[in-house]
Amino acid sequence: MIPHLSSEQLSEFILGRPNAVATRHIRDCAACRSELAQFREALGEFGGAVRAWSADQANVALSLPASLPEPRSWRARYQLAWALLAAALFIIASFVLPRRVEENAAANDAWLLNQVDAEVSRTVPASMEPLTRLVVEKQ
Amino acid sequence: MSGLETEIRPDLAALSDFEALVRLYRPRIFRFALASLGDVDAAETVTQDCFLRAYQAREQFREECSLHTWLMRIALNLIRDRARNRRLQFWRRASLMARPLDVAGHAIRDHRRSPEAQALLQERIAAIWSAAERLPEKQRTVFLLRFVEDMDLLEIAVATGMKEGTVKTHLFRALRAVRERIGETE
Repeated sequence: MIPHLSSEQLSEFILGRPNAVATRHIRDCAACRSELAQFREALGEFGGAVRAWSADQANVALSLPASLPEPRSWRARYQLAWALLAAALFIIASFVLPRRVEENAAANDAWLLNQVDAEVSRTVPASMEPLTRLVVEKQ
Repeated sequence: MSGLETEIRPDLAALSDFEALVRLYRPRIFRFALASLGDVDAAETVTQDCFLRAYQAREQFREECSLHTWLMRIALNLIRDRARNRRLQFWRRASLMARPLDVAGHAIRDHRRSPEAQALLQERIAAIWSAAERLPEKQRTVFLLRFVEDMDLLEIAVATGMKEGTVKTHLFRALRAVRERIGETE
């Protein structure tokens, strides 16, 4: 029985460096010849398939839009405008409202102090003020 | 070696010459990076970095090897650095797993083959890809350089920095693993 070619011997053929014994065997053994032919074809087609796949991937990568954003619809633009307007109003309100509260508080304080001054500077109690008016009118 | 390849010398290259060099070799570098990393974006980054480094180091090119081999050596270092990044390992593996049938689908349709023979061939190509992606890094590199880039043993040795005998050993092991994988699928 003829010993078939080992994996190393087949690899020698694939790499193009077979020894004389292996070359002789391939000439005489149809099974090894067929196996070598199939393996060689598969490797050759593998290289071709990877090259074609790679070229395809490169084309896909090149055909993708780099950074252009998709145009917005009118509806989306309106929504964006309203959102920006609401954000602007919120920002303005957050600055203006606290200032108004401070101003109102100062005005209230001033009014209260005036009231206190008025009370303190009375010559008679408030309940007797109508009587003093009567006295002044009679004089 | 093509006429264009022999005419272009990076040590002489003005920018316009370097642009011609990029146009000539870019598809090959991208292809090898893509086959090694399995990711288009990563391959694109490696390709760009490769030419950037080549441009920066163009004065150091001494014509001890072909431009193709020189560029491959730069690309290989970049791919190796990237492959060592553990954070990318999971994504790399996930992206490679989907490839075998995709790659096999690009096999050239030969009308002399029967549909059954074509299908069998595509199965073998898918098996080779699966086997290649499971190979240890050095075996995979020399396998792809030999059977996708059609480089001979000496060129592979120069590009990888290995001895020719070491390249041959890695190729034998890779071929044995690939044959076993094909045998498993049939």
